[in-house]
Amino acid sequence: MRKMLAASLTIAITASLVGSRALADSSDSARVGDIQYGNALDPTGWAPLAWPDPRGFSWLHAGMMRTPSGVLYPYPPQRDEQSSPLYRNSDWVYSGFLQIGYLHVGGDTHAEFFRQYTGWKSGIALGLFALYADNPKTGQYVEFRGSRLSGDDQYYRLRAGQYGKYKIEGFYRDIPHAVSTNAYPLWNGVGSTNLTLPAPLVPGGSTPAEVAAVANTRPRQTIGLTRQRAGLSFEDNFYRDWTGYVSIVNEQRSGDRLWGGPMFLNYILRDNGGALETVRPIDFTTTNVSMGLRDVGTVWQFQLNYTGSFFRNHKDELNYQSPFALTNVVGVPQVANIQQGQFSLEPDNDYHNLRAELSRSLKWNGQFSLAAAWGTMRQNDPLLPPVTCTGTGGIFISPSADYTFNCANWNTTAALSQQTANARIDTGLLDARITLHPSPKFGWHAGLRWYREDNKTNYLAFNPLTGQYGYIAENGSQGSIIPGQIGIFDPRNPLYASYVTQVRAIPFGYTDTVFDTGIDWRVSENNTLNLTYSFDRDQPKYRERKLVNEQRIKLGWVDRALGKATLRLDYEFAYRNGGPYNYDPYAPFYSTSLPGFVTPPLGNVAFTTDAMRKYDLSNRIEHKLHATLIYPIGDTATFSAIAYATRDDYGAAIGRQATRNRGFDVSWDWQPSPMTSMSANLGRADSSLDFTNVADNEDVTGAPGRDNPSLGGPLFPLANQWQGLDHERDYNAGLTFRRDFGRVRADLGYTYTYALGRIGYVFASPGALPITQQPFVDGVGNAFPDNHYHINTLQLGFDITFSRTFGMRVFDLFETGSFADWHYLGLQDNLVIDHRIYTDLGPQPHYSANLVGVMLNVKL
Amino acid sequence: MIFTTRATIGASIALLAMAVGVALAATVPFDDLREQAPLHGDTAAGATKAAVCAACHGANGIAVAATFPNLAGQSQTYLYVQLRAFKDGARTNAVMQPLARTLTDADMRNLAAHFASLPGRPAAHTAQATSRGSILFHDGDAARGVPPCQGCHGVDGRGPHPDAASTAPQPAWSTFPVLAGQNAPYVLAQLQAYHDGTRIGTSNDKVMQGVAHNLDAADMQVLADYVSTL
Repeated sequence: MRKMLAASLTIAITASLVGSRALADSSDSARVGDIQYGNALDPTGWAPLAWPDPRGFSWLHAGMMRTPSGVLYPYPPQRDEQSSPLYRNSDWVYSGFLQIGYLHVGGDTHAEFFRQYTGWKSGIALGLFALYADNPKTGQYVEFRGSRLSGDDQYYRLRAGQYGKYKIEGFYRDIPHAVSTNAYPLWNGVGSTNLTLPAPLVPGGSTPAEVAAVANTRPRQTIGLTRQRAGLSFEDNFYRDWTGYVSIVNEQRSGDRLWGGPMFLNYILRDNGGALETVRPIDFTTTNVSMGLRDVGTVWQFQLNYTGSFFRNHKDELNYQSPFALTNVVGVPQVANIQQGQFSLEPDNDYHNLRAELSRSLKWNGQFSLAAAWGTMRQNDPLLPPVTCTGTGGIFISPSADYTFNCANWNTTAALSQQTANARIDTGLLDARITLHPSPKFGWHAGLRWYREDNKTNYLAFNPLTGQYGYIAENGSQGSIIPGQIGIFDPRNPLYASYVTQVRAIPFGYTDTVFDTGIDWRVSENNTLNLTYSFDRDQPKYRERKLVNEQRIKLGWVDRALGKATLRLDYEFAYRNGGPYNYDPYAPFYSTSLPGFVTPPLGNVAFTTDAMRKYDLSNRIEHKLHATLIYPIGDTATFSAIAYATRDDYGAAIGRQATRNRGFDVSWDWQPSPMTSMSANLGRADSSLDFTNVADNEDVTGAPGRDNPSLGGPLFPLANQWQGLDHERDYNAGLTFRRDFGRVRADLGYTYTYALGRIGYVFASPGALPITQQPFVDGVGNAFPDNHYHINTLQLGFDITFSRTFGMRVFDLFETGSFADWHYLGLQDNLVIDHRIYTDLGPQPHYSANLVGVMLNVKL
Repeated sequence: MIFTTRATIGASIALLAMAVGVALAATVPFDDLREQAPLHGDTAAGATKAAVCAACHGANGIAVAATFPNLAGQSQTYLYVQLRAFKDGARTNAVMQPLARTLTDADMRNLAAHFASLPGRPAAHTAQATSRGSILFHDGDAARGVPPCQGCHGVDGRGPHPDAASTAPQPAWSTFPVLAGQNAPYVLAQLQAYHDGTRIGTSNDKVMQGVAHNLDAADMQVLADYVSTL
């Protein structure tokens, strides 16, 4: 009893010590905005206020307490003793802090990894402005926090309320995201919805050499976006245990990002087709709303919550010009030279979710809870015409082999079967859970969760103007190179009556039911066992399997018998199997299912091999092992180590074969006094992915056997198999040191990150390769060049106190890195390769940048 | 570009070096008792120095007036750290501070040993277990953030009874005073000083400041009355 009382007193005193309530960030149901407010200058958002209090953790004892598992609690931050009355005889007191100064950025300041999520800029910067006022008699408070590195990297937050009664919060923040700092877009109009070719390039009339010459003159640009977030929330404990809350957060994303374009035929047809890396605009608004009621009684707890999310894309399309001429491989003369294309960008969409939760406390220290939710996701944007081409597209070979089409029949919304998307997915959830602890040594829990995602979207790609089905491929350009590859099915035209193409949206959905149960059993004073079992029954719709079952068992052991150390070992085994596997469940959504489809004499080309097993549905055996050791060293240090390994083996002849993950993290934390702390950590993670596939035999796609899906058959011969081996190895290390010398405080931080990626492959014969001609085959080898990513960051800072009011912080941040990715190989010489146009040169191979800051600290 | 990097590094090193040169901060009188070990003095030597004390605290350690504390049977270490606090200014009192400044560290230890060795005052009358003072002392008032006194001062008010088997960081139990039999007016005055923040010179005072913060005048009175009956 005395121990308990002493402990409760410790906590009470500690709570009063951590009086700087401005430091408290908490998560609750009415949270608005972000959990963490910070930036690259100060990721924590309150570092200038968070120096450990030399008075320590508690006035009751000098040492630090540890968590039940043995980790030292951090020292509490210093309490601001300078609270002043707001005005004479006022019950309100206030304290504040201002840090403002100058930042100078030098070196490779445009390196992508240096500024990926940071708006570093030389100039005046607001490190932190924090103001806190409260009335201890009434429990009312007002808190403001803000920081500004640059115009697109800043945050401000205002909170006010009365403890136990109500709270209100508003915030605004800008977060930059540099997608590429090394981009050379060919087009004019980057950031808009119309990308036009610069003079003297001519749409559909320029040679690769002419395009390359212009590309070499294009200026370097930064591609990226800024997130502007703002929000308001209010929560009120309006009656006894009842609380109501409402919040709204709006995020505007503005800028641009690298995007695709047409990508067809150029690898197999030199000086034809095309692959263009364009830049698309980002102009999104997402508004999230949450409101609800909750009652937290001692026996019953209830919550009713509505969340809504409303996405608006203010730029619906991306139009671009293509500089290259297209050439039809047969048919004379050429009738079409498609010079432009259009992407439909993300549609506006709405999301609503209503959730009710009810919980009741039970005897045996138990709890029963029941949750039900219904949600719906809808988008009903006006649809764009299938194409933007004009004139006649396609290829004319002869009157009986006329593969042309009239763009006018497709470049209008009258060519659509419906004018708006009318897409809708409804979700439903039921979740029941019970926990009982009949004794301190034993606990039992069980749960049953049912979730359904019901996709009600039903779009038919039918053109009422032509009576044809399908969607014109590549704005008509693909069918203007190769006859018949227009992308349409027409039961009335023998040329298209056997064309296999998707004609309906596939309303993917699923029903998932999970039962789980488990026990926790304290076997002895220092040993606890826990065992859980779960059965997951997944019923996907329109997938290769209609039923997938996974059983999982997990055994855990926590041991505290090794001195003061805590050792936790967890082992998990899972087995997944299911119903029959249909390698082509999509036939109802393809033209093959429509009336009038004529199966060719040789049959349809097999959709894929029947040996293929998609990784989320295939049989799988999984083993997981996780070990954690927390070892207190004396009263001031902790050593902790984590090791883990996961092994998944898939039952598939073709598809994912296996994954392996293993790694470790070790760390050492030392806090001999509130004045000094130090930590070091080291980690390594290895992962591998082994997958197989088989290339189809192109010689058979027009010959007997093309409808044979068997692995080892004529279309998928064993000789065309290949295997990919993807390995990744990551290292990380870090070191921190802080020391409070009195008027001078020093902090040092170092981080090291290294990632190595290696993709190897083997293949049974050159038939497995996409290009089977020499000299390509001899140059293939057995692996892509290694990718690596390497960053060192060192930061050293000093905080100097001149008086109770004034101080200064000087710091230096030095970062160096290197990067290699084979995807960018060769682009340094030319961003234009035949009919392929690239925009991004990739991150700098080597960079070093330095940031110096001199900041004035003022306690208000 | 690299030149720029080196230049900024050089500038920063100069600034950092300047920072290191600043001197250390000053201190204010404050006695941190959290690592205070139990003390033992010379009882006989202390008795020879106790004549001055007797004027207020009585020859046998029982105060001549209820506004002064009884010293008899008090924790030896508690008495020592209080004398030291008076001497160094961490605790203020117009009478005690000038007297304490004349004492050596050995004198303070010995005086503490002397008064601790004297028998404490017997209970004046039987305490009412159901009284408000008893409830506050034993159970506190969780709803108002008042912890129970017995957690540190013992269930009988005769000082703490630490759990020797505990491996958790331990308070400096010996610095916590005996409350049983203490004079109610004196206890009330001290609770008021904690409540008002005028007695805050030691780490134990900080604890008591937090405890007394949520006590009102009636609470303090009933508590003072209650401990005097123990």
